[in-house]
Amino acid sequence: MHIFIIRRLLQLIPVIIGVTLVAFLIIQLIPGDAAQVMAGEAASEEQLEQVRENLGLNEPLYVQYGLFLADLAQFDLGESVRTGQPVMELVAPRFWITLELAFWGLVVAVSVGLFLGILAANKQNSFRDFGTMAAAVIGLSMPNFWLGLMLMYVFANQLGWLPTSGWGDWQQIFLPAITMGTAGAAIIARMTRSAMLEVIGEDYVRTARAKGVKERFVIYKHALRNALIPVVTVIGLQFGYFLSGAVLTESVFSINGLGRLVVDAIAQRDFPVVQGTVIVLALTFVFVNFVVDVLYRVLNKRIELN
Amino acid sequence: MTTKDHTPVLKVENLQTSFFTYDGEVKAVDGVDFEVRENETLGIVGESGSGKSITSLSVMQLIQSPGEIIGGKIELNGDDLLQKSKAQFAKYRGNRLSMIFQEPMTSLNPVFTVGHQVAETVKIHKKMGKREAHQEVIRMLKLVGIPAPESRAKSYPHELSGGMRQRVMIAMALACEPELLIADEPTTALDVTIQAQILELIKRLQESTGMAVMIITHDLGVIAETADQVAVMYAGEVVEQADVKTLFNRPLHPYTQGLMNSIPRHDVDVDELEVIRGTVPSPAEMPSGCRFAQRCPYASEICNTHPSLAAPSNNIDGHTDAGAVRCWIYTDEWDAEGNPMKNEEVQQGS
Amino acid sequence: MTTTPLFETKNLKKYFPVKGGILNRTKAEVKAVDDISFAINPGETLSLVGESGCGKSTTGRAVLRLEEPTDGEITFNGEDFRSLSKSELRDKRKDMQIIFQDPYASLNPRQKVKQILDEAMAIQGVVPKKDRPARIRELMDVVGMRPHQAERYPHEFSGGQRQRIGIARALSVDPKLIVCDEAVSALDVSTQAQVLNLLRDLQRKYDLTYLFISHDLGVVRHISDRVAVMYLGKIVEIADKKSLFDSPRHPYTRALLSAIPVPDPDEKSERIVIEGDVPSPMDPPSGCRFHTRCPFATDICKQEDPELRKTGDMADDHQAACHHMEEIVAQYGTTPTLPEEVGNE
Repeated sequence: MHIFIIRRLLQLIPVIIGVTLVAFLIIQLIPGDAAQVMAGEAASEEQLEQVRENLGLNEPLYVQYGLFLADLAQFDLGESVRTGQPVMELVAPRFWITLELAFWGLVVAVSVGLFLGILAANKQNSFRDFGTMAAAVIGLSMPNFWLGLMLMYVFANQLGWLPTSGWGDWQQIFLPAITMGTAGAAIIARMTRSAMLEVIGEDYVRTARAKGVKERFVIYKHALRNALIPVVTVIGLQFGYFLSGAVLTESVFSINGLGRLVVDAIAQRDFPVVQGTVIVLALTFVFVNFVVDVLYRVLNKRIELN
Repeated sequence: MTTKDHTPVLKVENLQTSFFTYDGEVKAVDGVDFEVRENETLGIVGESGSGKSITSLSVMQLIQSPGEIIGGKIELNGDDLLQKSKAQFAKYRGNRLSMIFQEPMTSLNPVFTVGHQVAETVKIHKKMGKREAHQEVIRMLKLVGIPAPESRAKSYPHELSGGMRQRVMIAMALACEPELLIADEPTTALDVTIQAQILELIKRLQESTGMAVMIITHDLGVIAETADQVAVMYAGEVVEQADVKTLFNRPLHPYTQGLMNSIPRHDVDVDELEVIRGTVPSPAEMPSGCRFAQRCPYASEICNTHPSLAAPSNNIDGHTDAGAVRCWIYTDEWDAEGNPMKNEEVQQGS
Repeated sequence: MTTTPLFETKNLKKYFPVKGGILNRTKAEVKAVDDISFAINPGETLSLVGESGCGKSTTGRAVLRLEEPTDGEITFNGEDFRSLSKSELRDKRKDMQIIFQDPYASLNPRQKVKQILDEAMAIQGVVPKKDRPARIRELMDVVGMRPHQAERYPHEFSGGQRQRIGIARALSVDPKLIVCDEAVSALDVSTQAQVLNLLRDLQRKYDLTYLFISHDLGVVRHISDRVAVMYLGKIVEIADKKSLFDSPRHPYTRALLSAIPVPDPDEKSERIVIEGDVPSPMDPPSGCRFHTRCPFATDICKQEDPELRKTGDMADDHQAACHHMEEIVAQYGTTPTLPEEVGNE
């Protein structure tokens, strides 16, 4: 197990290098002169030179990348070209908001998804099964922002049960979390259903019944533990998508998360901020994947041997 | 050995189990009767598709949709099992009757330790606490010959060999001292030296507990080695039933004879193996008469009518305890029809 | 008899690397086949028999170079088979065919039987295109199927029929040697008998040579001329069929023979039950690999790996690898099984 974790960590190194390289190149790959794009068309030659100097654009590319990495190692993501604030200071508080949002989205996705998936698998080909799976298809195909707007319209505007927007109060959690979690719930429900159906046909489930285990425990103990193994992977991936997919939900509900930050930064051509956000999101994604891999290993005792 | 006057531990009457597929009803088990007594082993032998496994799963009520037990009676020491509710019957499973399966590799849950899985049985049925259950697990693992039971109890199934896993299955099945043990192809997936160990173990445990054993196999060698009574199944029916010596010394049904002559043996040379021509009829083309008729070298006009399982009417070699056979040859009708084939010739398996 | 063997292998080895550790380097080797030698004469059937993990199937694949052997010589028809290049090897494949345990897995489900057979012939270029339909009809007839069945797909057949198709495919290129890898193990006894009889008839008709791999000693006795018993990558005994079954010398062969249940209730329980499991081939015991389970093992067995050898009264081509053969024969004779008390010591 330790060997596995160390090996997996070593494998992260090239991934992280790749991620930082891509993020670094964002500025280099902007069509035209990056400094011009950032400073705006009206900028004077001195102003442009100032921007280039600040961003280190005059150095050779490899030196720039080296400096970039050196800064990164000290958690220095540069400064916003708009406000002059360190990017780290801009990103950090919003990152927590997005993380919180993704977490609640995941809570919705996992609880609803698992519940519906098990429900459907339990009575295969029944009305309940078809109903659940039809709901899953609808949930999956509904555009995120539209769902958000509809929820807002019904529960905030019409019924007035919940606030329309913002973040911080517990009541403000519900609508964005449901908006984010619905598609994930649908994916997890389908995955759980097929994994459960596969596992229910396994010999050891029959053994559990032959032992006199109550049907409830046959399903929730013997079958579910095994069915969860592939589902965990999907859940981990969902969490990653939630982080990067928060943009829409944050816009709809006016939540000041990373998504909003990056959208605004793109609009204002504040590339250091874009770069910083991309790095933070990508590294989080990589980290989540690593955790999922380890978790998968812990759940699935059989892999250890090979 | 066999004691005639005991009430049977298990009594199965006219068991019918069908699968309802898109192509229609498949009668996997069609009117099967048998009994197993205390301290006795019943062997059920047959090839794939004979319904032998479905029979054993039916007794345990482990038939899953689209299969269903559609008729018959199953009694365990006088208790009518098919009348029990699901919850009531769950209390019997693993307690009064248990089962071990063909694939020890896949029959244990990969995510729990073997100790946990054995403990589960005694926790459910004997209402034991954690510590007590653990003691019981160690005792059982020791009983089935698992070395270092304390540490093996902490192992996961994949860490054990096939033979060890089957021992764990046996420990689990016998933890509550069942009245009946059903072993469905318990050694088919194992190597012969391990098979010998496992068969030996089952026999030893039966001697000490007096349980009734039902062993399902395709291997006539295993049957000869372990069974007291034998039922031969073909296409969902029992075609012949007798005590083991009678069956092997004087197989009556042409199918039983064909089966015995088609096994290549390691202790005898045969130049040409006898074959049973053709294959088992598919459920869709099941003949309305004798199900073996198409493949039977003796088939006659009368075989278009379905024969019943009965003691042979014509006395064979003065044997009175000749079991029962589902074949027209051994009936008065056959003789009355004036068939050229004489019983004696059939019995020689010519 | 001084016939030149059709096939011969010397010091054949097949090791599989076991990877592990942080850098996934080769940590150890599984010696699946560890220095074995045997020869097969034309028209003869040699069987490899043993329990799972003994290396019999690996041997079957290694001699055909379906998996490249780690070391050793292979001579086929007088030619050095191991020095053949990839393309030469492809040409030679028509002389050496293999039939697998699961015929279904080795038949393309999207091809009709006639396409399967046609393709096999086309690859080897042995039969001109215009002659192939006739050849397909002939092949179907040879394996006991009706010509019109060639129009069907593999899933429409039963297991026994599929194995017949597998045999027809192997025969389509006129091979000299056929490796049968557990070819009848998945079949029911009545069907198994049909296929075994077929294999024997074909051998007589076409003078085929078989390397027959099986775990079933009954089947092996029926089909073989000579038998090699394998245990953990080694041949522990090799002999003509009669000697092997009637006067086996290696304690493992005897244990194996006595473990098989005999379909005769009157002959019950003249058997020794050997203890324990087959050790892992990754970490085989030192010396004689059977010593951990052998009732006769002494110190020398733990230290020295016994060579295959023949003692005084053994038949000419009978060899066994056991340090204590002489003593065991002196004490217990050469009956196939050993007295029960041996196992219980």
